[in-house]
Amino acid sequence: MLSRRALLRQFSGTVLGAGVSRPLLSWATDTPAVSVPGKEGMIVRSGRFLDLEMPPEFLETWLTPIGHFFVRNHMHEPSTLDADTWRLSIGGEVERPYTLALEDLSKLKSHTVTNTLECAGNGRGFQRPRVPGVQWLRGAVGTARFSGPRLHDLLQHAGIKTTGKHVMFHGLDEVPGRVPPFIRSIPIEKAMNLDTLIATQMNGAPLARHHGFPARALVPGWIGAASCKWLTEIKVLNKEFEGNFMKPGYRMPNQSISPGGEVNPDDTHPITILAVKSVIAQPVEGSFLKSRTLRIHGAAWAGEAGVTRVDVSTDSGTTWQAARLGTEQARYAWRLWDYIWQAPKPGQYTIMSRATDNQGHIQPQTAVWNPSGYLYNAIDQVDIHVRD
Amino acid sequence: MFETRAGKASVLVLLGTISFAQSQDLPAGTIQAKVNTACAECHDAGIIRQQRLSEKVWTKELDKMIKWGALVDPADRTAFIKYLSESFPPDKPSDLVIRVAGRKTR
Repeated sequence: MLSRRALLRQFSGTVLGAGVSRPLLSWATDTPAVSVPGKEGMIVRSGRFLDLEMPPEFLETWLTPIGHFFVRNHMHEPSTLDADTWRLSIGGEVERPYTLALEDLSKLKSHTVTNTLECAGNGRGFQRPRVPGVQWLRGAVGTARFSGPRLHDLLQHAGIKTTGKHVMFHGLDEVPGRVPPFIRSIPIEKAMNLDTLIATQMNGAPLARHHGFPARALVPGWIGAASCKWLTEIKVLNKEFEGNFMKPGYRMPNQSISPGGEVNPDDTHPITILAVKSVIAQPVEGSFLKSRTLRIHGAAWAGEAGVTRVDVSTDSGTTWQAARLGTEQARYAWRLWDYIWQAPKPGQYTIMSRATDNQGHIQPQTAVWNPSGYLYNAIDQVDIHVRD
Repeated sequence: MFETRAGKASVLVLLGTISFAQSQDLPAGTIQAKVNTACAECHDAGIIRQQRLSEKVWTKELDKMIKWGALVDPADRTAFIKYLSESFPPDKPSDLVIRVAGRKTR
């Protein structure tokens, strides 16, 4: 069995190889291959900073294998990660600030939460008019079992002062140029929720370096950006953290705006909970299908709510039929669904999926347009061709 | 059951790998080298090539990047905006999808 130091050395050894191992300024003249060990077949949305999307046809299981789990980075990944010297500080508006080593963290009672993690920008590539940012389509989402101590327990040990209203996360993301650091905060109520973790494991294994080794926040049901990676600092604040990735980043307009319109940052609110949404895994867009009997399948999720039904249309949304929901479920996790369909005749078809949650939210025909393309959740659709 | 692009995954991945260098170049232009240099501190060309934005939005994005440290000579700012908005306008078809090399693993 590998020691933690050996494990870290192994991770550190892949730092360059695991990203796109090209020196600065070389990409314009070099002929690089995209090599990201362990992430074979993933869609490269960005090689630097590394952003990888799961292709829809990889969505086959309730728990997403780590190799298929999307990667979202706002900065360079840490160039070195040393489990022996890594420390996590807990401070700010607390009575007893303290620091933990990884060994200390591993001795605390561990809890497991199965969570669907989705990037707030997933689906941005479908927004019209187009908006800037990583042009994710369906696959900046995955489901995993995250394990580690409760943030509640860490904060309770420190003793939160009555002035403590928000909890800030800061990790080891390496900041280039004058880019603002990736720091975010969540309200104290969510921080103290018993399902919010400082996760050290994913699907029963230590976090992979792309996913925040050795520890990350896990804020279940919320946008992925809330679950900061490579965590080194937890700080209790008396107000929401003020920084680029809290404002103007990751906010939605308070008022509806016409597509293409502008928004006053002071008339926005932070994005928190994920929206009700389903995606079609198979058939994939543009498929030419030999058989008239098709298994249409995918996944549906709803942040802190539960998915109660998924409907499928095979006639461009004219009629809808209930899909069968998978038996595997957990509070913050997606439900797999499928629908067996017999195509009446060869030809072109538009297949759609629409999720409904237990709070009465239904996946809309059109997503709310916003200048950053957050929380895209329009009814999913693929065009396919059934052959003779 | 399905005859899909996924069924040809290994071929596509191979092609994707080979075509990566080509597809990751920014298009030719008098300002291309300067755009490369200004952006390469943080980005490869892929993130630029996937954008489809109006001149107004490109201007906003460029100014944000300059604020964050992209080295753009003020005399070149207008040429940058023209190059980016003409190379990657809203109505241009999407780029080829690039995959991580190698066969799908579990």
